[in-house]
Amino acid sequence: MPDSLSLLVSVLVFPGGFFALGLGLLIKGVDRRVAARLQRRVGPPLLQPVFDLIKLSRKETMIPAQASGAIFRWVPLVGLSAMVLASAMIPIGGVYSPSPELGDLLVLFYLLAVPAVVLMLAGSASGSPFGAIGFSREMAIMLAYEGPVLLALLSVAIRVGLGEGHLISLSLTEIVRYQQLHGAFLLDPWMWPAVLSFLCFFPANLGVLPFDIPEAETEVLEGPLLEYSGPSLGLFKMMSAVKAVVVLGLGVALFCPNGPDGVLGLALFVVKCTVLAVLGVTVVRTGMGRMRIDQAFYFFLKWPAALGIASLVIVLVRL
Amino acid sequence: MSFFLPVLLRNLFQGPSTEAFPFAEAYTPAAMRARVSFNPDSCALCRVCARMCPAGAIQLEKRPDGLEFILWHNACVFCGLCVHYCDSEALHQTDDWHLSHLQAEKYAMVEKAVVKFQKCSTCGKQKMPAPLPLMAKLYPGLAADEIERLRAMCPQCRKAESAPVQGETP
Amino acid sequence: MNAIKPSLASRLSTKSPWLYRINAGSCNGCDVELATTAIIPRYDVERLGCQYCGSPKHADIVLITGPLTARVKDKVLRLFDEIPEPKVTVAVGVCPISGGVFRESYAIAGPLDKYIPIDVNIPGCPPRPQAIIEGIAKAIAVWQSRI
Repeated sequence: MPDSLSLLVSVLVFPGGFFALGLGLLIKGVDRRVAARLQRRVGPPLLQPVFDLIKLSRKETMIPAQASGAIFRWVPLVGLSAMVLASAMIPIGGVYSPSPELGDLLVLFYLLAVPAVVLMLAGSASGSPFGAIGFSREMAIMLAYEGPVLLALLSVAIRVGLGEGHLISLSLTEIVRYQQLHGAFLLDPWMWPAVLSFLCFFPANLGVLPFDIPEAETEVLEGPLLEYSGPSLGLFKMMSAVKAVVVLGLGVALFCPNGPDGVLGLALFVVKCTVLAVLGVTVVRTGMGRMRIDQAFYFFLKWPAALGIASLVIVLVRL
Repeated sequence: MSFFLPVLLRNLFQGPSTEAFPFAEAYTPAAMRARVSFNPDSCALCRVCARMCPAGAIQLEKRPDGLEFILWHNACVFCGLCVHYCDSEALHQTDDWHLSHLQAEKYAMVEKAVVKFQKCSTCGKQKMPAPLPLMAKLYPGLAADEIERLRAMCPQCRKAESAPVQGETP
Repeated sequence: MNAIKPSLASRLSTKSPWLYRINAGSCNGCDVELATTAIIPRYDVERLGCQYCGSPKHADIVLITGPLTARVKDKVLRLFDEIPEPKVTVAVGVCPISGGVFRESYAIAGPLDKYIPIDVNIPGCPPRPQAIIEGIAKAIAVWQSRI
C-alpha cells in the first residue's frame, strides 16, 4: 500500500535513514573542523566521519570473554534503529510533516532516552570495570538532564496548546504550524528560559564537553565504548550522528522552524541545524573544560531546572 | 566560558598556526643536534668516543688494516658527548632528523668507515693516523709543510724530530 | 609488494588512522613529544585524520615508547593482543628499538622486536614531533597495504 510504503521511505531514506545519517556525519565533520579553527589548528577534512566509518567497517570485531555476548552484539543496533525512527518524526518547515502514525512529542522524548540506555547497557555488558563506571555515570547524568528538558518541551507544548484553544498540544506538526503563523519562539523573549534550558541539554545528550563524563577518554578510557571495536563501534558512531540530527532538528522545530517551502526550506533547515550545532556544541566544547559528575548533576538540578520551571510558569500565567 | 569566548574569537581571526609539515618543508633550527656524521680522514683512533658513549652506540672493531668505526643510529641518543670529546674533530652532529625507517632497514642505519693504520715514514713501524686538526692543536704556529712531514712519522720519531724544531736544546 | 592497486574502500580507510600509545617503561620524554604532536596547534595530526583514542580496541596505529622493562613486559604483551587487526606497530624513540641508554641493564627485557612484530622505527631521544609525524606517515603507508 502506498501509505505504508511512504512511511517506510520516510523512515529509511528521507528524512530518516540515509538523509539523517548523511546530515549527521556532515554536521560532525563541520563541528570538528570549526573546533580545530577555534583552536588555531587546521583540522580534518569535512568528510572525516565518513572515512572513520569506512575504516571501522574493515576492522575485526573482538568480543571480550567476560561480556554478555547477545546484549553486547545487539545493543548498538537497537540504539541505531530507535534513532532512525526518531529522525522520521522531526518535521521540517514547509517540506516534511511526520505521519501521525509514528507518534507525537512524548514518543519522541522516550525514543531520545533510548541511546542513553543503550550506552548504559553497552557499558555493563562489556564486563569491564571501566564500562561499569561509564554505566553509572551515564545513568546519573541522564537522570539529571531528562527533567529540565521535559519541562522545556512541556512549556512549548502548553504554549502552542493554549494558543490553539486546548490545554496542551503534543504534535510537533501543530507546534511548527503555530510558529509559522505567529512567529518563531526564538524571537519571543518570554520563551528564552525554555531555549536556554534546551541549550544546556545539548552537550549532555550529545556527549560533548563539559558534560562528556561517561565517555571521558582520559578518565575512564572511553567508558561504555571501551570494549567495542570494528563494525559494532561503527554502529555506535552512526547512532551518535543520527542522534545529533534528531536533537538539533527537534531544537529547530521547537523554536525556529519558519522557512520557505521546497528545496530552499530544506537547505535552510540544514543551515539552521549546522548553525545550532556550531553555536550550541562546538563553541561550548572548545571553550570549557570537563565537569565532574557530581558538579554536572547538581548543575542540572539547579539552573536548567530553574529555567524550565520558570518557563512553565510564564507560559501558564501569560496565556 | 566567558573567559574563553574572546580567546576563541581572536583565534578565528588569527587563523591556524599549524606548520605545513608533512605537506611542506619543516622548520629546522640552525643549532639542531641530530644525526652524527663521521669523517674517517680526521680520526686518530683514540677510541674516546666509544668509551664516552652512554648508549654504547659506537664500536671500533678490528679489521686487518685498521679499525672500523661503527655508529648505530638506532642506539644514538644525540647527547653529543662523542663530538665534545673528539679532539681531532672527526665527529659532527648534523641537523638531519629524517631518520624514521621501516623495520627491515633497522640494522642498516649505521655510519661505518674503516680508518687504516699507517706506516711511519722514518722507521717503517705501523702507527695510528695523525689527523690535521689534532696536529694543528699540538703544534700551533708551525708551517704547513713541516706539519705534513711530522704527520707521516710515528710518535717516537716525531718526538725526536720535533723537539729541536720547537727550540728546545736536545 | 603490492602489484594490485588498493581498493577505494582501502584508500578511504587510510584517511582515518587512530593512534594509541603504550608506555612500556619509558622515561616519558617520548610520551611528552607524542602528547605535543596531539595537543599543540603547531603539529596538528588531525589533518591526517589521526585521533588519539583512549581504548586499545579502537586503535589502528600503535605507538610504543620505552625499553620493555621486565616489570611491564607481560602487561604490554597482553595489551598488544587486545588491539584488533589490521594494525601497524611503531617504535618511538631509540629505547624500544635497541634499548637506548638502558641497553645492558638488568631491568630491560630486551628490545621490543623480540616479542612484538614492529613495522616502523622512529629513532631519536626523544624524536622531534616532526620526525614522529614523518614516522606516522610511513606507518600509514604500511597500513594501507593491510587494511
